[in-house]
Amino acid sequence: MTEAPAAITDLDLAACEREPIHVPGSIQPHGALFVIDGAGVVRKAAIGALAEGLVEGDPIGRDLADLLPEEARKTIAALDSRLVAGRGPEHLCFLRTAAGAFHFVAHRSGNDIIVELERALGDEPGSFDEVYPDVRAFLDAVQRTEGVQALAELAAREVRRITGLDRALIYRFDAEWNGAVIAEDNGGRLPVYLDLRWPASDIPAQARELYRINRLRLIADADYEPAPIGPDGGDVDLTYSVLRSVSPVHLEYMRNMETMASMSISLLSGDRLWGLISCHHLDPVRVPYHVRAACEFIGQVVSMQIAAHEASALAMRRDALRGVHIRLLAHMAAEDHFIDGLLSHPNDLMALTGADGAAVVAGGRCTRLGETPAETDILALVEWLSGQDREDVFVTDSLAAEWTGGERMKDLGSGVIAMSISQVHDSYLIWFRPELVRTVSWGGDPAKRAELGPDGLRLHPRKSFEIWQETVQLHARPWQEAELDASAELRVAIVDIVLRRAEEMAALSERLAAINKELEAFSYSVSHDLRAPFRHIVGYAQLLKKFEGERLSERGDRYIETIIESAISAGRLVDDLLSYSQMGRSTITPVSIDVGAMIREAQTNLTVEGERHRIEWHVGDLMAVRADPVMVRLVVQNLLENALKFSREREPAVIEVGAEVKEGDVITWVRDNGAGFDMAYVDKLFGVFQRLHREEEFEGTGIGLANVKRIVERHGGRVWAEGEPDRGATFFFALPAA
Amino acid sequence: MADLKPILLVEDSPKDVELTLAALEQCQLANAVIVVRDGAEALDYLFARGAYENRSTGDPAVVLLDLKLPKVDGLQVLEQIKADAHLKGTPVVMLTSSREERDLVRSYSLGVNAFVVKPVGFEQFFEAIRDLGMFWAVLNEPPPRGSAPRP
Repeated sequence: MTEAPAAITDLDLAACEREPIHVPGSIQPHGALFVIDGAGVVRKAAIGALAEGLVEGDPIGRDLADLLPEEARKTIAALDSRLVAGRGPEHLCFLRTAAGAFHFVAHRSGNDIIVELERALGDEPGSFDEVYPDVRAFLDAVQRTEGVQALAELAAREVRRITGLDRALIYRFDAEWNGAVIAEDNGGRLPVYLDLRWPASDIPAQARELYRINRLRLIADADYEPAPIGPDGGDVDLTYSVLRSVSPVHLEYMRNMETMASMSISLLSGDRLWGLISCHHLDPVRVPYHVRAACEFIGQVVSMQIAAHEASALAMRRDALRGVHIRLLAHMAAEDHFIDGLLSHPNDLMALTGADGAAVVAGGRCTRLGETPAETDILALVEWLSGQDREDVFVTDSLAAEWTGGERMKDLGSGVIAMSISQVHDSYLIWFRPELVRTVSWGGDPAKRAELGPDGLRLHPRKSFEIWQETVQLHARPWQEAELDASAELRVAIVDIVLRRAEEMAALSERLAAINKELEAFSYSVSHDLRAPFRHIVGYAQLLKKFEGERLSERGDRYIETIIESAISAGRLVDDLLSYSQMGRSTITPVSIDVGAMIREAQTNLTVEGERHRIEWHVGDLMAVRADPVMVRLVVQNLLENALKFSREREPAVIEVGAEVKEGDVITWVRDNGAGFDMAYVDKLFGVFQRLHREEEFEGTGIGLANVKRIVERHGGRVWAEGEPDRGATFFFALPAA
Repeated sequence: MADLKPILLVEDSPKDVELTLAALEQCQLANAVIVVRDGAEALDYLFARGAYENRSTGDPAVVLLDLKLPKVDGLQVLEQIKADAHLKGTPVVMLTSSREERDLVRSYSLGVNAFVVKPVGFEQFFEAIRDLGMFWAVLNEPPPRGSAPRP
């Protein structure tokens, strides 16, 4: 026997999956099949060896009623009105003929009706009454069993007892359609297969689909000679047929397995094929019709029980996780930032998916809880995930199978649920499960699913059913449906929170914009309506002084001067306030600014005003900054004016200007040797209308330094000051270097 | 110099009118000063219609235009002056109480010849009006009729 090259094997297996097994063109030999039209005329027929002599001559083109004994006539006449499309075969009557006794079974297939006459056994017709006690006992026992496992064991035992076959297995499919024997009742004539597995390819997809639709199948003799459907049976759909012939590959599989007869009953959970009750017999054997009916009934009861068990197990798990979910929501709601709510309750977070560890990755930072891979590994995983074009949630039982980096972190992170919680940033919430090394017993090497025969052309199925053990590595315990649902729900909640926050922010900024607009309108009207009266006061006072000045007393003259000065300073206050409010809304156009040139310019203006006393300037090397020139000019002017104002009592006034670079920012400072201030009040220095000196000592509106602070901070910089009463002050501002 | 053209002062505040007139008086300009109190009246004067239908011919040497006016505001008056083929050569000085950037931008984009924020101090205000009066009413040489205004 030569080894089959892998490429050929895969190709042939694919061919095997395409084999149209629902139209085999033949039947098993223990009966006859007629395809008749609505009028009862036979279009096609197959007569098996065990039905020989049932009809005389070629039945094609003749009325079926004419071919069969008189007692079948009524049944045949009623067929067209009785049979409903899409339903399984109906047992219509028991027919005694010269060739023997037959079960008359029929179903509709498209426009045709398919009549099958299955050869009865010697002691038939049996009745449901014969098996009823067994069925009732089974139903009673079902009530007392708890869990799917106990149910499977009960079903295997009862089906074998009712059928008398050598072995009854309960075969269960997993998510990938691999199957495992989870329960077995064995009479000792065939090997025990309990706990063995077979790969999905042993029961190809189209075979599974047939199992799903037609719930019971009997192969009476693996060595049977199929009876062809004539004249051309290649298109007759035998999906619902009881006599349907099976694939030669399957028969070979049975012979290799050393079981000459088999019967299978499908188990469904809802609409999905869940597993099979699979019975085998060492010798060819036929199971009587009523026994098979009882087995089908048992199969239906088991299916319903499984569905109920699975639904209630899922509901219980969901219920438990729901509680965890609600707690997590409460934790998130209690925190300013919802992530903190998750991080501060690691046990709930991990319980939500039954994980051993979890991590939150946000803004390149990684917070780990429980048993997780190293931070560098998690960040690498996130990087890989964000590079993929994936769904929002990534789930795997075996990270190593999906990603080469996965093998390194298998000990703590073989199973992963990773969900992105922000579309904009690479933020992820990740759960981890460690590797769980298991030994799995296969019924034969799962890799050698099939082999090429000595002829080299035809595919032969599995030959060896020897236990073949495999150690499954790099896999974690699979995530359950309820756990995945819970994680998805949490994601929805988080996205909701994020969205709600975003909406709140949008509403807030909308309100802010409205307030800003109002403020703008306010400052606009202030500038007009408040400035004008001040201008008028000054104007009229000066006119008064001009035209009536000679007639005023010295005191009257002083009063007028005070009126003028006060109105002018009030007008200046309005101007300053307006520029302060404009500072917040005018746009910034940052360019590279030569601070030195700006200082020299301001110096010249100031020296003209400061002619009265001597000023000693020490201007060091200044560095260019990146900012809005109009605004920075205001800063420079304000600080120099400030220095000059508070040092005018000094002889000479010394003003130093210097700069240094620190962490990409240029820090420029202006120092004077003037009145200084108490550091206890340093916080008040930059506030609006905050003054540290009595009004008569130093003039000013109290907005200048507030403006400086506002301008610098709008550029992302900062201002601060140092001082000592009577020992001068230093003002610093930091702006980005050019 | 034949026929001195008048100065058109458009100002709604009587106090500002009085102060402006006092300031112009100080400059000892010989030009007549025509005072109108809102934008609509200003346009009536400029386009010689309504109450000014029979005004003497000759356009103002300069329009001193307050920005904030009842009825038709200063910007609208400016817009109509600059949109008129005949009037667009007449210099317009916008006077305003506020330093609002957008007013400034809008005025210049409409072709204003000067933009003055009225200073609070009377001396400065005097100076400003005097300078404006001197420049626009005396020194400035208007473009010949029908030709385009200077940039």
